[in-house]
Order: sequence, then structure tokens, then C-alpha cells
Amino acid sequence: MTAIVLGLLLAAGVVVLVALPFLREPAPADDRLDAPTAADERRLALVEERDRALAALKELEFDHRTGKVDDDDYLALVGPLRRSAAAALRALDADRSYGAQMTEPETPDLPPEPAPPPDEGTPPAPPTVPEPYPPPDEATIPSIPQE
Amino acid sequence: MADLGRAALVVSLGLAVYAAVAGTVAARDNRRRLAVSARNALFCCFGSTAVASAVLATALVRHDFSFVYVAEHTNRALPTSYSLSAFWGGQEGSLLLWLLVLTGYGALAVGLNRKVLRELTAWVVPVLGGTAAFFAFVLVAVSSPFDTQTAPFDGAGLTHSLRNPYMVAHPPMLYLGYVGLSVPFAFAAGALLSGRTDERWIVATRRWTLAAWAFLGFGQLLGAHWAYTEVGWGGYYAWDPVENAALMPWLAATAFLHSVMIQERKGMLKVWNMVLVALAFELSVFGTFLTRSGVVNSIHSFAKSPIGGWFLAFVVISSLFSLTLIMWRLPLLKARTKLESALSREATFLYNNLLLVALCLTVLWGVLFPIVTQVVKGETRTIGRPYYDFFLRVFGLPLLLLMGIGPLIAWRKTSARALVRTLAWPIAASVACGAALVAAGAGSSRPGLIAYTFCAFVLATILVELVRGTRAAGSLFTLVSRNRRRYGGYVVHAAIVLLALGIAGSSAYSHTVERPLRLGQSMTVAGYTLTNEGVHHTVSPSVTRTFVDLRVSGRFNGTVKPAQAEYAIPPEPAQEVSIKTDWSRAQDLYVIADELHQKTGLVYVKVLVKPLVNLIWIAGFVFLLGSAVALWPDAREQRRLVTRLAPARA
Repeated sequence: MTAIVLGLLLAAGVVVLVALPFLREPAPADDRLDAPTAADERRLALVEERDRALAALKELEFDHRTGKVDDDDYLALVGPLRRSAAAALRALDADRSYGAQMTEPETPDLPPEPAPPPDEGTPPAPPTVPEPYPPPDEATIPSIPQE
Repeated sequence: MADLGRAALVVSLGLAVYAAVAGTVAARDNRRRLAVSARNALFCCFGSTAVASAVLATALVRHDFSFVYVAEHTNRALPTSYSLSAFWGGQEGSLLLWLLVLTGYGALAVGLNRKVLRELTAWVVPVLGGTAAFFAFVLVAVSSPFDTQTAPFDGAGLTHSLRNPYMVAHPPMLYLGYVGLSVPFAFAAGALLSGRTDERWIVATRRWTLAAWAFLGFGQLLGAHWAYTEVGWGGYYAWDPVENAALMPWLAATAFLHSVMIQERKGMLKVWNMVLVALAFELSVFGTFLTRSGVVNSIHSFAKSPIGGWFLAFVVISSLFSLTLIMWRLPLLKARTKLESALSREATFLYNNLLLVALCLTVLWGVLFPIVTQVVKGETRTIGRPYYDFFLRVFGLPLLLLMGIGPLIAWRKTSARALVRTLAWPIAASVACGAALVAAGAGSSRPGLIAYTFCAFVLATILVELVRGTRAAGSLFTLVSRNRRRYGGYVVHAAIVLLALGIAGSSAYSHTVERPLRLGQSMTVAGYTLTNEGVHHTVSPSVTRTFVDLRVSGRFNGTVKPAQAEYAIPPEPAQEVSIKTDWSRAQDLYVIADELHQKTGLVYVKVLVKPLVNLIWIAGFVFLLGSAVALWPDAREQRRLVTRLAPARA
């Protein structure tokens, strides 16, 4: 008998918990799932592009310093990666709504752009990168400056 | 109390079905309250399954033999720890454990990601709910642990080979691994269903996959140690179908853990990753089918039961579901970039993936072969150890080599010059090691020599990586703490090297001698001399034991007493081997006794000397350490995830 009562209590309890969203909000103003808008999706794609480019840059710096990438390969790879990161940053910057939504403004630590870019003129000496570490996986990804 | 257990399982089934159906409707029609309700149902499903589990655990501890399950798997003489381990000692209990872990994992994964991946978790809930519904259905309708009877005075007891600390931990570890693979699978399916096939599902489930993989790997090593000490045939892995059932999803998950790094960095291999995560999940369920259906002969199998057919149906349906989803979303799974060079980190990961999947499928074919021959030819043909050993060498040795080369190659591309410069030290070290081994007489086994040399190469590359990285970062602590995933991975690589050394040493360089030994007679094996000093017999109410006193001299002085036992409850024979570890030579003296004659003193003895076998067990702890380093929460990574994944809406 005790077991049956406990079973019924269990069933009643879970029914209440499952019905809770409807009990709390019998007639909500908006019952749609909080799905990202097209603008959110675009921004997310840009953020991912930025993260990927910055991570690749830092990985390249790490590999260069540990001897896995020689100077020629480094110079050939660093320019496109920097341009890719800069393009993603510019695109994010251009998104007016994005800046207002950031919760943790930080200054980006994108390595300085070599002038001229290595594959558009005389290749410069390997630039000194201010912060080669941490390696890209765990790197602090900079947030985007607010407008 | 059985009524409460049954009621809780029925409630779990209802909740899981509700989570699957309501979750699907909510995600499809974009209905927020219904999605939250379905999510709550998944949480409650865990709660009600926990209630059912508590009922069974209480019955086991209290020896409530009115439960058929308790009477069949325990008795009054069983200590509490083993009474509790009987929870997973039988089929019904282990299915309940599976459901408990599944709903627990699912509730936790969905709960933790509900805010950052709302549209994705809305689809994850019905996938997890559907999977849980299957297990709850089997427990309610096919194989219930809450069947009752008139309580007998005592139970049948737990099989003696399962009364072992390793067997207390081994099955739950495997279940944590098997079931843990449901989480990345559910998120992958959720990503396909929602059309959000970017990297978010991978980032969100990386630690889940890693944890499941670590549990599965460590669980297998615990099982191997149990087999080595308890089963008494002299080995630790027999390529048994049920052992292979745990190995296959682990191999698929290993491939997945490597290939997701390519997707995260390069946006490549999206289809491949979906296939791998589905393969790992399906193989974990398929393993359960193998264990319980009785279609294969295995010492690990549960008795043949009707649930095999249900599991086969579930594997077929869920595989078709996965394939259909992947085909449907193929346009969304196109790679953004291409492989830039065959000499790049991503290329080595690709080679590693091909080898791992090839090994996995080779093992799968070996497992399926007896079933296929039975269906096609009407006779069961089995594939033996030589088949598996051959393919382990064919795929395993190149994998070992790649494990050394991969970390030294840069992402995108590496020039041959840079590669030669980077590999110079490791190659020199491994060649020197190989030469030393040949000089020491290790050339008697070519595969063993190759394995040792490759192991030296991998260890040298790890060392070179750590030294160069530490120089660049300033300290080892900084280096590791800023990229735990990478350096945790290197520790795992070191564990695999220890494992390979242990396997190569204990198989390629082992010594085995078996012969009859009369009273007073001696035999010598690899420097150990064993002398028969008599066969003895002891009797107690619970066990009758016949053992031989073997005096050991030479490299080790002492006595070993291998025995054969006959237990009273449950009545069953047992082989009790004697193992002496000689730490100075890093090898085990392993002695098995058979056909013991007390009157004449004659005994049939099998003696094995297994070099480096203990490295396999040490590898398990190094493996756990590496996994823990890679899994350790990192504040920077968490911030990155939140920044990247948080929905734009405030």
C-alpha cells in the first residue's frame, strides 16, 4: 500500500513539474523558442571566422617559434591569415547592433599588420608578435570593440 | 517495494515518450513552453529512474529475495559491496543502470547547455527522450528487475568470478562510456534536425565525448586486469566478441576526437564527423545486442534472452535515422576549405582516422563473421586470434608512428626541410634505441622490435614537444595550463605508448612452458625454476580448494600456490592462478595448475613469464591523468564558449 501511495505521489509530482511551464505562464505574450535571427546567425558566423583566423594565427606563431614552420612558410601563411582575421573584425565592427550586445568589452590583441603584407610587396622580416601565447585552443578570444 | 520500482519505471517510460513526442513538436513548431515542458520531462525521467534504482539497490542490500533478480544474483553470505555490484551483475539490473546513466547524462548535458544553445537543445531533448524510451520500454515490458516471487530462504549468489574489486568497477565504467556516447550523438542529431550544423554542437559536447571515451578506455583496462587475474588463461585480452564490443566504439570515438579538431579549425570533415559520432553510438548499442542476444559465444555474455531482437531493431532503426538525417543535410555539411598539404597536422589526423576506422571495421567484421557464416552457409565459423593480431600490427604500428609524427607537423603545411629538422632528434633517439634493443637480443621478434622502436620515437617526440614548448612559454606549468587539451592529449599518447610497450613485451617476448610435474620434479622457464612440493586439499563450507605448492628459485625465491576451487554457492569451479611480479625485471611469473592429483602429487602446470605486462595497468592511470588534464575546466575556454555561443538576444 505504501509503495502504491509513493508511486502515485511520484506520478503526481512529475505531472506538476512537466506542466510547470504552462502553469507559470498560462497565456504568454510570446511562446516562440528563442531562436537566433538571421542577423544573429550572420554575427555568429563572423565571430567563428574571427576566432578561427586568430587561433590559426597564434598556432602559426607557436609552430614558427618551435621550429615546425620555417621562415618562408611562415611569411607565406601569415599574410592571408591576418587579412582574414582583419576582414572578420571589420565585418563585425560594421554590424551596428553587435557592439551594443557585447557584455564583456575588451581590446582585441590582433597582431600588428605588417606593412606591406608579405605577399604584396617585399617580404618583411618575421614580425615580432607581442603575445604568441597562449596557444590558440585556449586563447582568450578578444571581444569586439564597441562603436 | 517492487510495486514502487515498477511504478517508477512506468513513469520513466511515460516521461521519456513525452520528452520525445512533445520535444519534437515543440522544436518543429517553435513552441517555447512545450520545449521547456519536454525538457522538464527528461529531468523528471532521471528522477523517476533514480527512484527505481534506489528500490533495487535497497532490495539488494537488504537481501529481499521476494525480488526474483535479488534471489538470482545474491545470497545472504555476500558482502554488501558485492551485493550492490549485483545491480549490474545481471541483465535487468544492468539495463536499469544504463537507463539511469542515460537520463542522468542527458539531463545534465541539456541542463548545462539550455541557455547557450536553445534551438539546438530543443532538438536534443527528443533524441535523448527517444533513446531513453527504448530502454524504459525494455525494462517495463520485456526484462524487468522488479518481478517478484515467494521469497526463498536464500538466494543463488553472485558468480564467483564477479566477486572481484575490478569487476565492481569495470561494468559501471563501461556503461559510463557506452551511454556517454549518447550525448554527442544526440547533439549531432539535434544539429542536423535544427539545421545548425556549424561547430557549436562539437564545442558543446567536446568534454562529454572526452569523458565517455576516457571511461570506456579505462573500463576496458579494468576488465583486462580482471581477466588477467581472475579468468586464469594467462592473458588479458582474448578478442572475445564482447570485449570487441567495447573496443569498437572506443576506436570510433578516438577517431572522432581527432577529426573534430579539423572541423573546429578548418571547417572540414563535417560529414565524416557526423558519421563517426553515429558509428560510435550505434556500435555501443550493437555491443549491448551482442552481449545479450546470445548470437555469439562469449564468456562475458548474459544468458540468451528475448531482448536481443529488440536491441537489433533499435540499432537498425537508429542507424537508418542517422543516415537519413546526414543525407538530408548533406548540402549544409559541405567543407569550407580544402586540405592544403599532405604534410600537415590535419593530413596526419586524416591518416590516423582512416587507420582507426579501418581497425574498427576489421574488428567488426571479425565479430560479425560467425553470424554471417551461420546465415549464409548454415554453419558457424569463427575468426581466431591470428586474424586480429595480424590487423592489429597492420593498422596499429602505423598508428603508433603517426602518433609521433603528428604533433611535430604544423597545421596547414610543413616543408620537408622543417619536418626533417623537427624529426631529427626523435628519429636519432629511436634508431639508437632500436640498435640497443637488437644488441640486447630483442631482435627475436620483428613486430616487437618495431613496436619498441616506434614507442621510443613517440616518447622522444613528446619530450621534444615539451622541451621546445617550455622554452617558448617560459615554464612547463604555463605551457600545459594554457593548452590543457593539447598537453593532456600528449599524456594520453604517453599512456598509449606504455600500453603498446606492455602488449608488445607480454606477447612478443613472453615465455610459455606447460608440462606435467611429478612430486619433487622441477621445471625451468626463463630463469625461474619451479619445484613441485606437493598437492594439498582444503575444505570449508563454502569452497573446496586443491592447490600445489611450487617452490620458485633462480630469479625469484619464494612459493606460488596455483589452485583449482569448487565453490558451493553457487556451485561452480574456478581456476585460481598464482601471479608473482618481479619488479626488478619488470615481468610477471604467471602459474596455472590443472589436473591436480593429491595422492600421487602429479600436476599439470603452465608457466608464463610475461615481460612488461604491468605497464598495461600503469598505462591505465596515465591515461586517466591525461584525460583529466584535457577535461579540466578552463575559465578562458568557458568565457570563449559563452561569448561565441550565447544567443544574441539579451
